Amino acid sequence: MISTILEFQNVSFSRGSRLLLDRLSFAIETQEMVALLGPNGVGKTTMLKLASRLLQPASGNVLLQGKPLADWSRQHLPRSIALVPQELELPFNFRVEEIVAQGRVPYLPLFGAGTTRDREAIESAMEAVDIVGLRDRPFSQLSGGERQRVKIAIGLAQQSKLMLLDEPTQHLDVGRQIELIALLRRLNKRGITIIAAVHDLHLVAENFSSVIMLTPEPAWIAGPTAEVMRPDLLGRTFCVSQSDLAQYCVSPPSDGLAQVW
Amino acid sequence: MGSQSKRGSRARTNTVNLILLVALLLSIVLATSLGAVRLPVNEVLHAFLHPSQAGEAGEIIFALRLPRVLAAALVGAALSATGVLFQGLFRNPLADPFVLGTSGGAALGGAIGIFLIPTLSFAGFSATAVLAFVGSVLTMVLVWYLARTSGAFAMETLLLAGFAIGTMLNSATVVFELREEASSSGLRVLAAWLHGQLSIPAWSQLGLIAPLTIIAIVFALPVAGRLNTLALGEEYASQLGVHVGRVRVATVILGSLLTAAAVSLGGLIGFVGLLVPHFLRILIGPNHVRLLPAAALGGATFLILADTLARTAFAPTEIPVGVFTAFLGGPAFLYLLHHRSQESG
Repeated sequence: MISTILEFQNVSFSRGSRLLLDRLSFAIETQEMVALLGPNGVGKTTMLKLASRLLQPASGNVLLQGKPLADWSRQHLPRSIALVPQELELPFNFRVEEIVAQGRVPYLPLFGAGTTRDREAIESAMEAVDIVGLRDRPFSQLSGGERQRVKIAIGLAQQSKLMLLDEPTQHLDVGRQIELIALLRRLNKRGITIIAAVHDLHLVAENFSSVIMLTPEPAWIAGPTAEVMRPDLLGRTFCVSQSDLAQYCVSPPSDGLAQVW
Repeated sequence: MGSQSKRGSRARTNTVNLILLVALLLSIVLATSLGAVRLPVNEVLHAFLHPSQAGEAGEIIFALRLPRVLAAALVGAALSATGVLFQGLFRNPLADPFVLGTSGGAALGGAIGIFLIPTLSFAGFSATAVLAFVGSVLTMVLVWYLARTSGAFAMETLLLAGFAIGTMLNSATVVFELREEASSSGLRVLAAWLHGQLSIPAWSQLGLIAPLTIIAIVFALPVAGRLNTLALGEEYASQLGVHVGRVRVATVILGSLLTAAAVSLGGLIGFVGLLVPHFLRILIGPNHVRLLPAAALGGATFLILADTLARTAFAPTEIPVGVFTAFLGGPAFLYLLHHRSQESG
């Protein structure tokens, strides 16, 4: 059974006088793995924040599981959608486990501590991203890749079926990037719908089922990966000639490009 | 293993709290026995247990020493708890009621009350107390809007706001001194506040401030839980379902109540809210829910001991406890500031 988990209906958003998103519309089915592509500053982060109600659209509707975001309660929204932001900076040296536990906040009453179910959710979140051994480490001592996994674990502790990730591969070396995408695929297989802003076209072509591409006009293209990732569309989106793009895509030699075109 | 380590840190917090509680009780007895007239500890204990039979020693204990010791405990607890709350709110370990200027705002408000409307009162609270609270809230709001840039707080603005309020307070003092009709008792209170000199409060004043302080700290506990989430950032906390605006308002009101309580007993006593939480964070970690009660207990003990030193070390001359805490806290503050500016590049 296929059902729509997230839908944008003619969503527009401006920052100051600049129109950032113009009547953006798409629908994402349950358990899709969607890449969000586009040049820096085009509005990828904005789109993810609109989807998680951190920003309100100027016009249009965002629906989560068929229900407008405005109708979701403050506690129930984070149980259904998790946003993994680009940066996480902590002013105090919390331990990994304490940070992951914050993913249970949507389930906690104002007074009172966590239950056994909360503990189990925290444990399985840490297991899923393989940070059980890091539980007592202070956040400041973690590497970039480990920090990404801690952030994803917060999202998993929320036990939401939809996870939005803002440039999860940023600042990671190639090896950690590949590991991270493999992790996202595993989570996706377990039933979590993934939307991730990613810059690496190879990783997108090889791992994601659909693409939403935001272009500077502003306009947008959404569809299956093979249909969206065409040289003419990519060239227009990233403001680069097709020949330059082709050069970037064929070196280092890989068969990824053949799949893309 | 997971629940073990969590249980481990909880057990450790309990141990630390137990030690702090014992230290607090011991320091109350010790501080009551020390002074110009030295009273043996067993006599103090006897007086505590049988107040009616205490005789001459009882006079010293119940009229002079114990109120002062309890005032120190309340001020230390209130300032340290406020430090924990403000540090969580501003996401900055340097936030302290003195550094942020809210103590100064409370003192300024209180001074206006003392000199302009000394006889007015609202619902049992004197105009001085109400204006001290209002002064603290207004300072917080001012610092908040000045220091907030794109969701984060600029360190410079945070510190400069405290400096500016302090300067205003000093100028106001001069203005009040120049007013010919200014009461000398009012001026004495103001001078004591500026130096951070603990008063010997009336029991009725303690009867008002003690429950207020304890209730504010209890109400701050659920807020402290949300401050843990706020440590991830305001947007992150909001995304996790935390009503950030409400947490902010609750923190400002509770912190200002505690600051006003502390200022009314001891004026501008700096760095307690910075030192105590900092050392307890090293011992039991940054979790605000655990830190808050420990900081209250530790702050109470710390200020009792500091005030005892301040009034006995150079006897018969008393030095204000605020001078003492500044001596200890100033270097710690500079160390933290240096440490942080290095961290941020």
